[in-house]
Amino acid sequence: MIALEDLSTSTSAFSSSAFEADGALTLVLVGDASLTKIESMQAVIDGLHALATQLGTKAVVVDLTKLDFMNSSCFKVFVSWINQVQEAEPAKQYRICLRSNPKVLWQRRSLHALQCFAAELITIETI
Amino acid sequence: MADGEVAYFELQFKPNAELVSTVRRFVSEFYERVCPDADAISRLALATHELLENAVKYSFDGETKLRVEVVRGTLPAMVAVRAWNQALPSHLETLKASLDALAKASDPFEHYQACMRISAKKTEGSGLGLARIAAEAEMVVKLEPMLDSSNRICILTHTGTWEGQAR
Repeated sequence: MIALEDLSTSTSAFSSSAFEADGALTLVLVGDASLTKIESMQAVIDGLHALATQLGTKAVVVDLTKLDFMNSSCFKVFVSWINQVQEAEPAKQYRICLRSNPKVLWQRRSLHALQCFAAELITIETI
Repeated sequence: MADGEVAYFELQFKPNAELVSTVRRFVSEFYERVCPDADAISRLALATHELLENAVKYSFDGETKLRVEVVRGTLPAMVAVRAWNQALPSHLETLKASLDALAKASDPFEHYQACMRISAKKTEGSGLGLARIAAEAEMVVKLEPMLDSSNRICILTHTGTWEGQAR
């Protein structure tokens, strides 16, 4: 069984935390998700998916508003996760909201690419 | 320096994955001083980061070199970024295949989406870095021929406006 605390990590340049509110699981990612953070990202996203499936959550929010950058390897973690949700049985699928900061310019293009990849699952919320 | 002049810098270092983000931030500050467009700065920083990570990951002998050239004050930005490393032959073949596929794609964004669908199932590597440079940073990516007989490779990425700019 996985718990919310299992989604918390903290390194010098990257951290994550999670909470549940209004029936949605929220994962907050902060810092720089680059080459040395791939394993951390994979562990956090795997944990998020496992917890969402365990709880039967219908909506997950990933708050990227304080994520300064994400490299293509960490981006691939998101791609694989979203694909996993797409291929799950309908009863186990959930919607994914990506919360974005308009001042962090890379997010506009990268999150648009993710939304196009899974338009039926992904929404983008700009703060 | 006057508008229209080429500003450049070169960095040479042993691969240290932690340094790539530091270099990205430095490069962003460099771009801010020579390029007036915030969106272009973001795209260039992304392209530089991906190119450098690619070079670091696949460096055979531990050395990577980066050169960034910018024509000052131009809109749209005129920028060329080169990354050199010594790559294993197997990595070179994979790189050539990726660049060939990219060159043949009529739409970089559609190609990126296709790469994402393939990447979703991969267990090793993402295969997305170069496609991301083309689709998100909107830059051309190619292998620059080396004039010496070494096994070093150079990947060049540049803005569309750079084509034909002298080195």
